[in-house]
Amino acid sequence: MAGHHEEHSSHAHGEHSHSDRFYWLVAGVLAVVTALEVGLFIVNEQHLIAKWLEVTLLLILSTIKGAAVVMFFMHLKGDAGIFKFVFLVPLAFATTLLLSFMVLFSGHVGIAG
Amino acid sequence: MSESSMTRPHATAAHHTSLGVDNRKLGVWAFIGSETLFFATLITTYFVFAPVNRMRPDFQDPREFLDIELTTVLASILLASSLTMVLALSASRRGDRRWFTTWLLATVGLGLAFIGGQAYEFNHLYHEGLTLSSSLFGTTFFVLTGFHGTHVAIGVIWLLSVFFKVRAYPDSPENAMDVEIAGLYWHFVDLVWVAIFVLVYLI
Repeated sequence: MAGHHEEHSSHAHGEHSHSDRFYWLVAGVLAVVTALEVGLFIVNEQHLIAKWLEVTLLLILSTIKGAAVVMFFMHLKGDAGIFKFVFLVPLAFATTLLLSFMVLFSGHVGIAG
Repeated sequence: MSESSMTRPHATAAHHTSLGVDNRKLGVWAFIGSETLFFATLITTYFVFAPVNRMRPDFQDPREFLDIELTTVLASILLASSLTMVLALSASRRGDRRWFTTWLLATVGLGLAFIGGQAYEFNHLYHEGLTLSSSLFGTTFFVLTGFHGTHVAIGVIWLLSVFFKVRAYPDSPENAMDVEIAGLYWHFVDLVWVAIFVLVYLI
């Protein structure tokens, strides 16, 4: 079913396609990363590692998952630059928004209240 | 002229922009960019009010309510649906109607399973005393996850409409683009859940 479809590029639309086998491989990696996330959460209910380290590891793992979805399932890797622009600029702005508000409001309950 | 040549959609030159890309695809990417900001605002609101929730007399502790087992299943369902979606696109491009139908309807089924699981979670939380107005946690949690669930429901409707439109000729350039842009939206919905899963349920 999947194995005989060779990797090819559809330059007419400017996007890059992969073989079905490649997509199964990406899905497998996503499943493993998800298992690592949940495993880390469950294991650290015993407080084996510091909370900041757990949060950092979870953010790294979720970033890997998100990047894989965007690059390979959404085919942004290798696609036209304008698509990257209209997605990555708002994403950068959104990340800045989240981090800025976290800094502004952490420890300042009165501001948000 | 054969019937197929009369009804098969032709090239998408009419949809090209001066940038050399399909205007519908560009529009969907711009829409996804705006949706990124929309969900970032909801997630930011959740985090801004989390410490306020802890200081209020109606405080409800997220750790007492959120069920990691169920949520892990929901996350796995959405990740699996992203795989079936991209396999449906792959099948449409090579004109494999049988597998296109299989994978696209599998995506729809997984989307419906996610919605069903979320409905079960919401019902369970409601009976545990967590509602939209019971606390700041309840308000921010249900608004965030409820909007995401609504997006999944819209995605299911979109995928079904695309399926019935393109199923005869999924490999024509016009129809393959219909599948691709519906897939972009679907993957974005999955992407949002990747963020919600770790930021709301695990951290």
